[in-house]
Parts: sequence; structure tokens; C-alpha cells
Amino acid sequence: MNPRAKIERFLDNASRSRLMVYACVLGLIGLVLMSWSLFDQGWIPVMMAMSVGQGIGTLSFALFLVIVIIDLRKAEFRPSITPMPPKPEDD
Amino acid sequence: MHVSPLSWIALTCAVVAAVIMIYYLIYRPPLNGRVKLLMMVAVGVLPIMTAMIGNLEGLQATEHQAFCGSCHTMDMHIADANDADSLSLAAIHSRTIKFGDKSCYVCHKDYGMFGYAMTKLGGMGHVYMFLSEFAWYDMEEALPKIHIARPFKNDNCMQCHSTTGRIWNGVADHNGLLEDLRTGTTSCASAGCHGYAHPFSKPDEETPSDAEAHSALSAPSPEGT
Ligand code: HEC
Ligand code: HEC
Ligand code: HEC
Repeated sequence: MNPRAKIERFLDNASRSRLMVYACVLGLIGLVLMSWSLFDQGWIPVMMAMSVGQGIGTLSFALFLVIVIIDLRKAEFRPSITPMPPKPEDD
Repeated sequence: MHVSPLSWIALTCAVVAAVIMIYYLIYRPPLNGRVKLLMMVAVGVLPIMTAMIGNLEGLQATEHQAFCGSCHTMDMHIADANDADSLSLAAIHSRTIKFGDKSCYVCHKDYGMFGYAMTKLGGMGHVYMFLSEFAWYDMEEALPKIHIARPFKNDNCMQCHSTTGRIWNGVADHNGLLEDLRTGTTSCASAGCHGYAHPFSKPDEETPSDAEAHSALSAPSPEGT
């Protein structure tokens, strides 16, 4: 299966609520790492916040965006104005 | 420890975001439009605020002594700089308000740990050196192994000592070496001149005696000022 099909299958079958749970757990870990450096400004917390903390936080937000993409794929987009039926004299 | 008002804002964002996330984890509301909007704030907007403020604060933190002091390898330099009885250049300067808590930073602006270089792990030679080697030494073992990487730039001193003042130029040694000093060929903080900034870290034979360190400073005559 090519990668594109794989991604599409994932997007069709993934559980949104489970993705949201992962996003929340990662988000919490990221927030803890980022907040730690606000109060302890040694090199370990500062470095952790700016690398690992922000990395995990970004991942959490990315998971949320995946949920949005899943929803957008399922949404039906109807044009708000129905196209006119072709008139016989047009062709 | 210094906690700025910005940090409190960052922390508030983090706490609000955390509360919403924990709420979601406990109650698992269906992800309809409204809940998604809420979660967008909780995993997107608020954490990004925290991260941005955290970056600002983190970069600033690297200017403070506490940051440099978080590796024991730097302990003796800091202890000497803060010693009220020490006459080393580092200590004399640290006692002025312009240096204060930022004393290491003001003289060592070109040290590779400030600013964004710090976030790039590649630029973190010192963290690497620390973890691979220095973390396992105690201070006595580490001290003789730490050396300034590039010759110390006089530019760092010239931020404040412009080399254009009358008293400064009245010193014979300054006069003769003016070009060398401005270009940095001769370091202000060398033996025979003002002495090392951290004299305790040098082997005895390199450390200038007090007399030597101050011989270059012929006291300016009060009439001249
Ligand atoms: C991760 C631990 C750590 C922190 C934090 C740290 N240092 Fe160092 N530093 C070291 C180690 C290890 C060495 C010795 C390695 C070497 O000689 O290159 C060193 C060497 C130095 C040197 C001499 C080598 C050079 O690059 O010129 C200076 C100057 C220095 N540190 C200043 C500072 C200042 C200023 C700070 C605060 C911004 C600081 N250090 C924070 C671990 C650290
Ligand atoms: C007055 C300016 C000044 C201040 C303040 C200062 N340094 Fe230095 N530092 C120097 C100079 C100049 C050198 C080059 C070698 C020397 O003169 O001792 C140096 C060298 C070093 C070295 C290399 C090893 C050595 O002893 O030569 C380390 C490590 C270092 N400084 C750490 C620090 C730390 C940590 C602080 C903050 C407490 C600090 N310095 C504050 C000017 C300063
Ligand atoms: C941020 C500004 C600033 C920088 C940078 C700075 N100095 Fe100074 N320096 C001062 C001030 C202010 C004093 C007066 C201190 C006092 O009287 O307590 C001073 C005093 C001195 C003195 C007289 C000390 C004494 O024994 O009375 C010497 C020598 C000196 N500086 C050399 C240096 C050298 C060498 C450097 C570079 C390594 C340097 N300074 C960097 C601001 C600075």
C-alpha cells in the first residue's frame, strides 16, 4: 500500500476521541516542562523547555489538527448556489 | 530566582489549558464544534502563549548568574565574583549595579550559550563537555582544565571603558599600547596589566601579585581632572 493510501485509511478509521486523549496527555507533559523553566532557571529546565517541552507541545497541537482534518474530510461541502442546468442552446 | 510578571501570565495560560485538558480527559465530551473550539484554545492558543513567553524568559535567563551557576563547574568563578572581599576584576565589577546579577554575561557576552544558539543542541558544546566529562569531576579537578576558548576580547571591556577618556589616556601604559588595546592584540586582563579577571583559576606562576596588577595603574593626579 502506498503511503498516501495508508494515510487516507488512517484518516478514515482513526478514533477522534482517542486522538484527543493523546493530544491532552502530550499537552499536559509539554506544559509541565515549559512551566518548570519559569521558576527554575538552571540550564536543564531552560533547555528542556525550549527543546523537549516545545516539541511535545507542538506534537499535541498537531494531533488536534489531525482531528480537524478528519472532520473536514467527512464534512459535505455543498455549493451554496446550485449550478444552473445547461441550456440546450449553449452547445 | 526571579519570577517576572510575564512568567505569571505564562503560568496562568498553562494552568487554564491544563484544567481544560484534564476536564476533557475525565468527562470525554463528544467532539462537536463547541468542544473543538474549546480544545483548540487548550492545546493550541494557550500553550503557544506559554511557549512564547517561556522562550523570552529562557533567553533572558541565560544572562543571569544563576544560569551559569547551574553547572558546578562554574561554582568557583561565581563564588569569587560574589566575594565581597575579593579584589579580582570579576569581583570588583560584579559589585556595581550594571553587572550585579548579570555579571558573567556582561563580560562574557560572546560565550556560546546565550540567545538562540542555546536552543540549537549543536551549539551546545559546553553541555556536551559537561555531560561527557566535567560532570564527573569535582571543582578541584575541573578548574585546571577550563580555559578561555578564544582570547578574551577587549571590546567587552570597551563597552564601558571607551579608551578615549582623559584619565585613561593619561596612563603611560595605555598610551603606548593604544592600537594594540583597541584591536585586542594585548588583553586588558593579562598578567602585568590588570591581571586576570579570575586570578584564582590560574596556576601560581601566572598569577600577578597585587603590586604587579596595580603597577600599571598610576593614580591619576587630581589636578588633571
Ligand atoms: C552545562 C553546564 C555549564 C553551564 C550552564 C555554563 N558553563 Fe561555562 N563551562 C562549562 C564547561 C564544562 C566548561 C569547560 C569546557 C571548556 O573548557 O571548553 C566551561 C567553560 C567556560 C568558559 C571558558 C571556555 C570558553 O568558552 O571561553 C567560560 C568563559 C564559561 N564557561 C563561562 C560561562 C558563562 C558566562 C555561563 C553562563 C551563561 C556558563 N559558563 C554556563 C559548563 C557550563
Ligand atoms: C570583569 C569582567 C569579567 C566578569 C564579570 C566575569 N569574567 Fe570570566 N573571564 C574574564 C576574562 C578577562 C577571562 C580571561 C582569563 C582571565 O583573565 O582570567 C575570563 C575567563 C573565564 C573563564 C575561563 C577560565 C579562566 O578562569 O580563565 C571562565 C570559566 C569564566 N571566565 C567564567 C565566569 C563566570 C561564571 C562569571 C560570572 C560569575 C565571570 N566569568 C565573570 C572576565 C570576566
Ligand atoms: C558594564 C561596564 C563595564 C565593563 C564591561 C567593564 N568595566 Fe571595568 N569598571 C566599570 C565600572 C563601573 C568600574 C568602577 C567600579 C568601582 O569603582 O567599584 C570599573 C572599574 C575598573 C577598574 C578599576 C578597578 C579597581 O581596582 O579600582 C579596572 C582596572 C577595570 N574596570 C578594568 C576592566 C576590564 C579589564 C574590563 C574587561 C575585562 C572591564 N573593566 C569591563 C565598568 C565596566
